[in-house]
Amino acid sequence: MLDGIVKFSNTIFQPLIDLGSAPMMLILLTLFALIMGVKFSKALEGGIKLAVALTGMGMVINILTSAFSKSLQAFVANTGIQLSITDVGWAPLATITWGSPYTLFFLLILVIINMVMLALNKTNTLDVDIFNFWHPALLGIIILYFSNNLFVATLFVVFIGVLKFINSDLMKPTFNDLLNMPEQNPTTTTHLNFMLNPIIMLFDTIFDKFFYKLDKYDFNAAELNKKIGFWGSKFAIGSYLGVFVGLLGQQSVTEIFALAFTGAVSLELFSIVGSWFISAVEPLSQGITNFMAKRFPGRKLFIGIDWPFLGARAEMWATANVLAPILLIMSLFLPGNAILPLAGIIAIGLTPALLVVCRGKMLRMIIIGVFMLPIFLWSGTMIAPLVTDTAQNVGAFPSGLESSQMISHSTKEGPVEGMVAILIGKAVSNPNAKSVVYAVGALSAYLMLFIWYAGKMKVRNRIYLEENEDASAPTPVAAKGTL
Amino acid sequence: MIKILAACGAGVNSSHQIKDSIETEMANRGYNVQADAVVVKDINEEMMAKYDIFTPISTPDLGFTIPIPIVEAGPILYRIPVMAIPVFDELEKTIKDNNLQ
Repeated sequence: MLDGIVKFSNTIFQPLIDLGSAPMMLILLTLFALIMGVKFSKALEGGIKLAVALTGMGMVINILTSAFSKSLQAFVANTGIQLSITDVGWAPLATITWGSPYTLFFLLILVIINMVMLALNKTNTLDVDIFNFWHPALLGIIILYFSNNLFVATLFVVFIGVLKFINSDLMKPTFNDLLNMPEQNPTTTTHLNFMLNPIIMLFDTIFDKFFYKLDKYDFNAAELNKKIGFWGSKFAIGSYLGVFVGLLGQQSVTEIFALAFTGAVSLELFSIVGSWFISAVEPLSQGITNFMAKRFPGRKLFIGIDWPFLGARAEMWATANVLAPILLIMSLFLPGNAILPLAGIIAIGLTPALLVVCRGKMLRMIIIGVFMLPIFLWSGTMIAPLVTDTAQNVGAFPSGLESSQMISHSTKEGPVEGMVAILIGKAVSNPNAKSVVYAVGALSAYLMLFIWYAGKMKVRNRIYLEENEDASAPTPVAAKGTL
Repeated sequence: MIKILAACGAGVNSSHQIKDSIETEMANRGYNVQADAVVVKDINEEMMAKYDIFTPISTPDLGFTIPIPIVEAGPILYRIPVMAIPVFDELEKTIKDNNLQ
């Protein structure tokens, strides 16, 4: 039956697909927003902006990869270190994913899952962060890349979606604690970032048992950030990584300067085009929020927004700043890694989860972060072929580059989920004993770790509740009015 | 022209949503407002000095005392208009209290 639906869909969508990714997504996003009750002009505005953002992001990827590929290849030839994948960071990956019509399909499924879970009281989170639905959608696309099995891809997206909504509720008291938010503040997030919490919690528990004395050596994160100054900003990172790649590739001084400034331009432009792209999805986000919110009138809900509200905590940035050079050095020596960190070097796919689990204990965040970095590099390396292929399919990757040249993201959010998706995709496409055992084993371990983590978070949340009750209870003396 | 600095963790999503909403709503209320959206990490004292009001999602520790009025703008991100109104009211009050133009 699913095959029939796919065939029927292909008959309708093939002429659209033949138009190319940008025009196709213009039409699909506009139509989807209209269905969600958005006014035609607003829906069309979003559709056009998405097409413009897709086209723009393709151009910036072209600038960066064209400039860096020659030097990266020379670097590989000179050193024998296989770091041939260009790290384009999160924004191009988001754009590429939003360039696929499957993303709208997975978005629709997850909106339905959110509403069903709300109706059944399985979550209190109303997710209005529509833009970031691209993360679970990419997991579905990974499975489709390997297996072309929409049913399994959808099941996995739903599985991750359900756990994300549960996790969002579990983290809410910690957000209140970290940001001094009052109980009635509804802010939470369902971001895929935080699905790394269970593994971090495992390390944090080991830290609690054996290394807790190190906590007293914590330092002031805001002071450190202040000292780092502009060196942590996008253009600076692009510049000195351009110099780094140029030196390793033994380029001339002129070429090294050109690489430095091209790196800086690309990183700045990724951000700017990324913001166009987010504003493209804005009318649809508002439409879906209206659609969902009016179905739960009077219900006290948490509201799931994008993670950057945690950016108020200086520890998140200080950890990212400290981890950046470690990531760069690690990438040179880590077996199985092929990415040289560039646009993703400030690991915002990792540090928000470290902040939530370690609750701002800097040394823990850094030490555990170091152990997490290889997972990101391996996962980024593993997804590079499909990211590159998908980018080519949506017209966001230059055709003139060497066929061995690939793009990916060195600190892509949800690295573990990406690996599990690859294992599932491979098991579905080639179901032998080994591949099935790997996939089932990985999925079971993932779920068991999440269940253990959920238990730990429930204990943490009970303590928060007790503390709040203690704090709000009047003291006996005060109650008698004698103070 | 009243200059407002919006900030978030990545400088591309939440802060832009705050910037756009503030510019639209304050224009509706008759104020000449221009907002910029940046990454929290990139804010320094020199940058802050160029603005009249700071509108983060929640107030960050920047390693220096923030010298301008702060209006926390997180509720704008909920996309539910009634929840954002107190933020705009607070912004309007701040503008009036500080005689900003």
